[in-house]
Amino acid sequence: MIQHTFGLLTSPSKHWRSIARLDDKTLTTLLLYPCFLALIPAVAWYFGTTTQGWTVGGGEAIKLTRESALQICILFYLTMLGCVAAIGYFIHWMADTYGAKSTITKGIVITGLTATPLFISGIVGVHPLLWLDMLIGVFAVSWSVYLMYLGIPIVMDIPEERGFLFSSAVMAIGLVILICLMVASVFLWDLGAAPAFTD
Amino acid sequence: MSELNSALEHPTYNYKVVRQFTVMTVVWGIVGMLVGVLIAAQLAWPALNFDVPWLHFGRLRPLHTNAVIFAFGGSALFATSYYIVQRTCQVRLISDKLAAFTFWGWQLVILSAAITLPLGITTSKEYAELEWPIDILITIVWVVYALVFFGTIVKRKTSHIYVANWFLGAYILAVAVLHIINSMEIPVTMTKSYSVYAGTVDAMVQWWYGHNAVGFFLTAGFLGMMYYFVPKQAERPVYSYRLSIVHFWTLVAVYIWAGPHHLHYTALPDWAQSLGMAMSIILLAPSWGGMINGMMTLSGAWDKLRTDPILRFLVVSLSFYGMSTFEGPMMSIRTVNALSHYTDWTIGHVHSGALGWVAMISIGSVYHLVPILFAKERMYSISLINAHFWMATIGTVLYIVSMWVNGILQGLMWRAYNQDGTLTYSFVEAVAASYPGYVVRFLGGAIFFSGMLIMAYNVYMTSRRDFEPEAAPTAAAAA
Repeated sequence: MIQHTFGLLTSPSKHWRSIARLDDKTLTTLLLYPCFLALIPAVAWYFGTTTQGWTVGGGEAIKLTRESALQICILFYLTMLGCVAAIGYFIHWMADTYGAKSTITKGIVITGLTATPLFISGIVGVHPLLWLDMLIGVFAVSWSVYLMYLGIPIVMDIPEERGFLFSSAVMAIGLVILICLMVASVFLWDLGAAPAFTD
Repeated sequence: MSELNSALEHPTYNYKVVRQFTVMTVVWGIVGMLVGVLIAAQLAWPALNFDVPWLHFGRLRPLHTNAVIFAFGGSALFATSYYIVQRTCQVRLISDKLAAFTFWGWQLVILSAAITLPLGITTSKEYAELEWPIDILITIVWVVYALVFFGTIVKRKTSHIYVANWFLGAYILAVAVLHIINSMEIPVTMTKSYSVYAGTVDAMVQWWYGHNAVGFFLTAGFLGMMYYFVPKQAERPVYSYRLSIVHFWTLVAVYIWAGPHHLHYTALPDWAQSLGMAMSIILLAPSWGGMINGMMTLSGAWDKLRTDPILRFLVVSLSFYGMSTFEGPMMSIRTVNALSHYTDWTIGHVHSGALGWVAMISIGSVYHLVPILFAKERMYSISLINAHFWMATIGTVLYIVSMWVNGILQGLMWRAYNQDGTLTYSFVEAVAASYPGYVVRFLGGAIFFSGMLIMAYNVYMTSRRDFEPEAAPTAAAAA
């Protein structure tokens, strides 16, 4: 599995082509890929928010209590997997429109692999520093978007232009899911998952 | 200039007024966005107002909104509606003189806005800041606009009225009603008036107007544009004509109720707030009807994407339209609004619609129109259109993302309190924490603005008489 991470980051087109050749059974095992990689940000942020903390506007370092951070990081982990599954499902659902053959598994695998830079960049959580994390986050998002535009036509075996439209539709779905996340966070905050800070 | 115009005159249609408005779309787009970039920079570096009252954020902000909505967006709508109504009714505008009057009248409105707003002359109603003499001028120009538009539809040569004209007609009618009712005011002097409404009623009328300025000016009008230029550029029929009619009526019926979501947790009665919220959530369905119809029309034209960056503008504009019309209903939910209201999240939301949807679809339409209006085979440079596309997309994304981060940050900081009930942060701490976001927003805006400059150059070069494109333009255009 680790070879996919390096493969996608170092020679993306070549690696997408090798993934396109995988049989269904191998694809199914790749469903585990996001489950492992999503651990990186969840653990990193747990560590960062409980031991390092962050500062806002030059004040004292703010930290979360262990229980609160554990609760939030578990929710964070499940949310990441939920999003991968949801986007993966939508990729499969739209495949027909763009003339591609697909299964739900294939959609989820593409999503999980595409998110590799995002998962890896989650490591910044060990040292929460707003502007740096934002910078790295934007960089990782751009990288993932690039991987998606590159990968969808290859793995779905459709012409590049058609893949561009497909990827743009996935982009729109991704943005909608991002907004769902923001809204869900606001609700959960009110429903008791608000962080508890150490004094 | 006159001999140039006569050489370009179309035998049947009035292209002159379309050409004038199209050129002014580019000009006002640059002016309005330049002001926007300046005030974005002022939020990051406040010294940039140079202690001059005319350059103060409070005076330039309404200038920015008026310039981009009514000058840039308005000119784009005038240009495209005059073009679409002639082409789809297969008949010339009923009166060239009245059409010319709307052009010069509208430019006069914009000029008056550009003078009065920096001087601090304002009604203080958001998006309706212009004082009463200008309001009267707007009304006259708008009524003449309606006469020209509907008059042309009446004497059409086709049997049915194409759906783009339905949207454009709804936009013209609704904006007339909104403008007249919201601008009811009692003049005190030439430059000062007071609204006839008081207190909560004033606020409700204002946001009934304000939200429907978004709904009819910035949505229905631009959907009209979408329903003409998307099928035209894709060279395919609209995906579903029935869907377009269904979502037209639902959009028109529901949008008008959504205004109260701007007044959550204010003195407005709770039932009105809840009604506004419910209607805003329902609004998702007709909004997405339009997006799906546009997307499905475009998805059949994938083979043209390689040679046609204009199509990319249209695809991405529809993606942003879908995203922002999803975000809007979510933000109208009171629980979410309690966090998001008054923060930069709102500004980000507005710009995902304004830059991503309104500006992108206008830019795509202008690139479609300019070669036709100047009797050229194609634009001067396809690769410059492509460069503009990437700058517009990257600029918009940077803008939205920075405002999302800032908005959530501000919302959380404002509501954070200590165990003894005191506030954790002072307001200015939230401002200080927003600084990186303001810088990124400025960068995003500046990139988008630079794209407009490229467009202006491309339009100018296309309009030059010595530019004669070779017959097969597609070979060099690989993106």
